[in-house]
Amino acid sequence: MIDTLCDRARGQNVAVACFYCDFTARKEQSPTNMLGAILRQIVGGLKEIPEGIVQAFEDQKQVIGGRGLRLPEIVRMLQTISSSRRTFICVDALDECVPEYRVKLLSSLRDILQKSPGARIFLNGRPHIRGEVERRLCGKTLSLSISPNEDDIIRYLQSRLEEDTTPEAMDDALEADILESIPESISEMCVRETIPETYLSHLLIVIYLAFCWFPSRLKKSCEKQPSLVGERSSLQSPIP
Amino acid sequence: MPQFFSDNINSFNISNSFTTVDQRSEILAWLSPLEPRLRHQDIRTRRVDDVGDWLLQTDQFRSWYDVTGEDEFDKAVLFCYGNPGVGKTYMR
Repeated sequence: MIDTLCDRARGQNVAVACFYCDFTARKEQSPTNMLGAILRQIVGGLKEIPEGIVQAFEDQKQVIGGRGLRLPEIVRMLQTISSSRRTFICVDALDECVPEYRVKLLSSLRDILQKSPGARIFLNGRPHIRGEVERRLCGKTLSLSISPNEDDIIRYLQSRLEEDTTPEAMDDALEADILESIPESISEMCVRETIPETYLSHLLIVIYLAFCWFPSRLKKSCEKQPSLVGERSSLQSPIP
Repeated sequence: MPQFFSDNINSFNISNSFTTVDQRSEILAWLSPLEPRLRHQDIRTRRVDDVGDWLLQTDQFRSWYDVTGEDEFDKAVLFCYGNPGVGKTYMR
């Protein structure tokens, strides 16, 4: 999404900034640090750093040990910048943020929007925070459910198959079989909703199939080339 | 990405040439210790082209992206929700 927005923004007076919430780094991802990181990206993209920020930086150096900006100051700076240019702010995995931090982050985003109604905010997260997001942002939210469609799964599988380091073990029939049966089984699982939300995800099943189902199918097709079976199981998936 | 918004900015007064390269990076580091760009680069290299293209064709995306004028405040936020692992982070 960030890349799409950046591509579309090229050559225009547009700023795009993103933040990725991460459960493992949740303590350091305070609202001040998160919005500071957004401000940092936007300011880093300008030819010159705005004087207000340079001044604030110089002023804080007078204090022993220096000190960072406070959240309201960061919000004010973001308000100023985003009212002078089209600004996109994207936050990924909002559900991984500490709940108390999320409250502050969402209300800060609302404050930014109140001053610059043209700013665009793109958020994503698990379904359970939907109500919270819509409430905190006071009904300015369009919500959209995301699930991989069959084309996405096929594209994903094709790209993994292209990266296969032992292509000699593949034949057209096996490839066709993979591209047919995996998307099918994933769709079936989605329809039956047999996947516990917090345990397995649709694409993680691809990993399971790649590591377990796939090698076993391969064993059959590679009986004459047993040495390839072991290598096949090293097929890597990019899903974290 | 910085090259994408190197145009003029007209809201703040610009501190012309008073900031050196060193001071510039010092100021940026002062704004926040976190660097989401690194995570973005990582995701970017692992993303499969065109996956999630359909999102750009939805009414929700279009009205969020294209809207201007009086309505823009009411459609300022696009929230995409889905279970873990469905590919939210990797959408086009």
